[in-house]
Amino acid sequence: MRALKLLVVLIVLVGTSSCGGNKEVKKLPIYGRQEFKEVDGKVDTIYHTIPDFTFYDQDSLAVTLASFDGKVYVADFFFGTCPTICPIMKQQMLRVYERFNDNPEFGILSHTIDPAHDTVAYLKDFSMRLGVPNSKVWKFVTGDQDEIYRIGSAEGYLVPVGADSDAPGGFIHSGAFILIDKEKRIRGLYDGTKPIEVDALMNDIPKLLAEYEK
Amino acid sequence: MRSRKSEVGSRKSEVGSLKSEVRGRKSEVQSWLLLLILPLLLLMACGSGDTSNNEDVQERLDMRGLQEFSSGKQLYIKYCQNCHMEDGKGLGKLIPPLQNSDYLLNNVAAAGRTIKYGLTGPIIVNAIDYNQPMPANPDLTSLEIKELLVYISNAWGNKSKIVTLEEVERALKPNTSD
Repeated sequence: MRALKLLVVLIVLVGTSSCGGNKEVKKLPIYGRQEFKEVDGKVDTIYHTIPDFTFYDQDSLAVTLASFDGKVYVADFFFGTCPTICPIMKQQMLRVYERFNDNPEFGILSHTIDPAHDTVAYLKDFSMRLGVPNSKVWKFVTGDQDEIYRIGSAEGYLVPVGADSDAPGGFIHSGAFILIDKEKRIRGLYDGTKPIEVDALMNDIPKLLAEYEK
Repeated sequence: MRSRKSEVGSRKSEVGSLKSEVRGRKSEVQSWLLLLILPLLLLMACGSGDTSNNEDVQERLDMRGLQEFSSGKQLYIKYCQNCHMEDGKGLGKLIPPLQNSDYLLNNVAAAGRTIKYGLTGPIIVNAIDYNQPMPANPDLTSLEIKELLVYISNAWGNKSKIVTLEEVERALKPNTSD
C-alpha cells in the first residue's frame, strides 16, 4: 500500500514537472538535405541554405539575403486578400514582432505569393494597418512571382507555395513560420496558425541567438 | 501520515473497537482523495488559465438562445475566426473587430447579409476605416446565419437581444438596403 502511494506521488511529481518545460539548452536542429565533402582528409558537412534573392519591401527598398546578414530571421508566405489562414498567421507573427523588434539581430521576412495584387503600395498600407510602421525589422516583400515560388520551394524554405485555382483565394501556401540562422540555414519550422507552436518559436529564437554569443 | 498512525492505533488494541477501525479507513480514504485531488489542482495550475468572458450568457440567454449561441460558436470557429480572431478583436486596422463593434451591434440582422454575400469597399467601425474585402459564404443557411449572429452579438461582452429568423431572412433578401 505504501509503495503504491509512493508510486502515485512519484508519477504526480514527474507529470507536473514536465509542464515546466525543459530548462536545459539544446541546440536547434538543422533542416534540409546535407551533403558531405572531404576537405584535406576531413569530412565537411554542407547544410542546406537559403539561396540569394532580390525582392522589394513595403518601403520600396531592395531586399536580398544580405539584408539579413548578422541576423536570425523568421520567414513566411501570405497574400493580402487571403480569406483563410493569413490573418491568424499575421496576428501570431505580430506577437513575435512585438517580442523581438528591439533586437538588432532579429528580422522578419513576409513574402506575398500574389505579387500581381500585392504591390509595394499595397504592402505598405497592409503593414501600416497591421501596426508595423516601417520595414526596419519586418519586411513585407513582393517581386517576381516565379522567384517567390522558387524561394518557397525545395530550393529555399522547403514549404509548398503556388497558384491553385481550387484553393480558397486562388493560392495554396503553407502556414509555416521558418526560422533561419545567421548562416542562412533552416533551424525551425512552426505552424504559424497555432499559438502554441508560435510560443515554441518564441522560445527557440533566444536559444538560436545564444549560439552566437561568445 | 495520519492514516498510518490510526492504522497502528487500531492494530494496537486487539479488541479493535469498530469505531477506530472505521476512523482508520476514513483517513485512509481521505489521504487517497488528497492524492487524487493534488495532481488535478497542479495540472489546473499549469494550464493556460484561459477564462472566457462569455459566462454571463448563461444568465442572460434562455435555453434556446444558449443552444444557438453554442452552435453559432462552432460556425464562428469554422468560418470567421481565422480573420476576426478567437476574441472577436479583429486584426489591427486590417480586419475590424466584432467585440464592441458599433457597425455590428447597431444592426445585427444586417450583418447577416455581410456574412452571406461578403463585402467589398471601405467601412467605418468604431471610427476607424477598414478596407479589406470579406469573402461571401453563400452556402450558409438562414438558420446558420442566425446562430452565428446570436453568437457574435452576445460573445466577448457583447449584449444584444436574440435576432429572429424573420429579421435575418428579411436582411438576406436581395434589394434590401441595410
